[in-house]
Amino acid sequence: MKQLCSTRDVPAGGCHRIELTDRPPLAVFNLDGRFYVTDDTCTHGDASLCDGEIDCDDGVVECPYHQGAFEIATGRPAGAPCSIPLRVYRVEVKDEAIYAAIDETEAACP
Amino acid sequence: MSVITLNDGEAVFDCAEGDTLLRAGLRAGLALPYECGVGACGCCRCEVTAGEVANLWPEAPGLSDRDRRKGRVLACQSLPAGDVHLKLRLPPQPEPAIRPVRHRATLVASRQITHDIREFVLRTDAPADFRPGQYALLALPGLDRERAYSMANLPNGAGEWHFRIRKVAGGGASTTLFERLAVGASVGLDGPYGLAHLRTDSPRDIVCIAGGSGLAPMLSVARGVAADPALAGRRVDFFYGGRTPSDLCGEADLAALPGFGETIRYHAAVSDPDAAARGGLRGPVGPVHQLAEAVLGERLTEAEFYLAGPPPMVEAVQQLLQVTHRLPPERIHFDRFF
Repeated sequence: MKQLCSTRDVPAGGCHRIELTDRPPLAVFNLDGRFYVTDDTCTHGDASLCDGEIDCDDGVVECPYHQGAFEIATGRPAGAPCSIPLRVYRVEVKDEAIYAAIDETEAACP
Repeated sequence: MSVITLNDGEAVFDCAEGDTLLRAGLRAGLALPYECGVGACGCCRCEVTAGEVANLWPEAPGLSDRDRRKGRVLACQSLPAGDVHLKLRLPPQPEPAIRPVRHRATLVASRQITHDIREFVLRTDAPADFRPGQYALLALPGLDRERAYSMANLPNGAGEWHFRIRKVAGGGASTTLFERLAVGASVGLDGPYGLAHLRTDSPRDIVCIAGGSGLAPMLSVARGVAADPALAGRRVDFFYGGRTPSDLCGEADLAALPGFGETIRYHAAVSDPDAAARGGLRGPVGPVHQLAEAVLGERLTEAEFYLAGPPPMVEAVQQLLQVTHRLPPERIHFDRFF
């Protein structure tokens, strides 16, 4: 598990981008106190999902450019033109620190 | 004519009578986001913040229930009724584009390519100005909605637009083209459109993967590489997938290009094993994305990809490239018509 940030870095209903040197950036989401980690780059084009709109009611993030959407918890595409799932990572929270299993390579969703 | 204001004044453009918000914006030289132009991809979603639009296709698949709940519309399916204010996000570094123009075109020739694909040659008075891989919207007599078809040839001063169109059972547009239009007939041609065009600034080797009438834009891309001195010697691997041996096409066209068999290579696969056996096919059997993976090997992760074909084929190739091999989407070019 890799330590990414503190829970205080991610506002409720918001997200926080984590830049890493050896891999594409990650996005940490806070949906009503539950934390999720996904890839930050939209699977449809070169856009940061952390710049997009988060819809807490639907648990969805919308890409800022084409408003394609993904379910944050599963990575499942939730709106055209996105069709390739977003990679999601297993998360653990310990003492306000957020960890993600970024080396696990299981498929994001069926 | 209506005046369209984007994002409280970031841009202002005129929309002629009968034009959609998307096409009018592109004609004005704005890089409005879009891919298909026909209501399927959802890329041109926007919000109307003032004024009224008529929706040409309320059930368009490009909008989700969430989009409808939020009052979004597709710019490609919206006709303004008077002046309109719109909200949508323009790309930060748009690529320069050729502005689309409405033409009247005459059908000057047609020839059969396979049992169900025919090439139609249209001619306009103005030069045929487009990038290899782009498409035009054809307004055919008797049909209420325009159809998107890709050009197979290269831009030219003679005003020739070559389309390769597959006959679809029960398809109104292809039935009109195959059975009702005679040489000399006049049709509306609006173009060029599309973002999946040849990138001449990429130094990477090129892979084209086509199925069905996706042959046309991929052929144009391969021809574009062969015709550009700046791309001399660039390797092109061209894959074509068909269901049966009689679906396979494109090799004869590529064979006419300089470098064929050396820098330009053709690979084909048939997906239906029974049809392959009946046709005495010796070549590869299976989906075209598997053939591409096997042939390209380690070169796969270094190449620039162009795709056109039936949605299941494009989806399978996308899975292969983005999920299995983690290629970034910027290196995979296709316009989503689904």
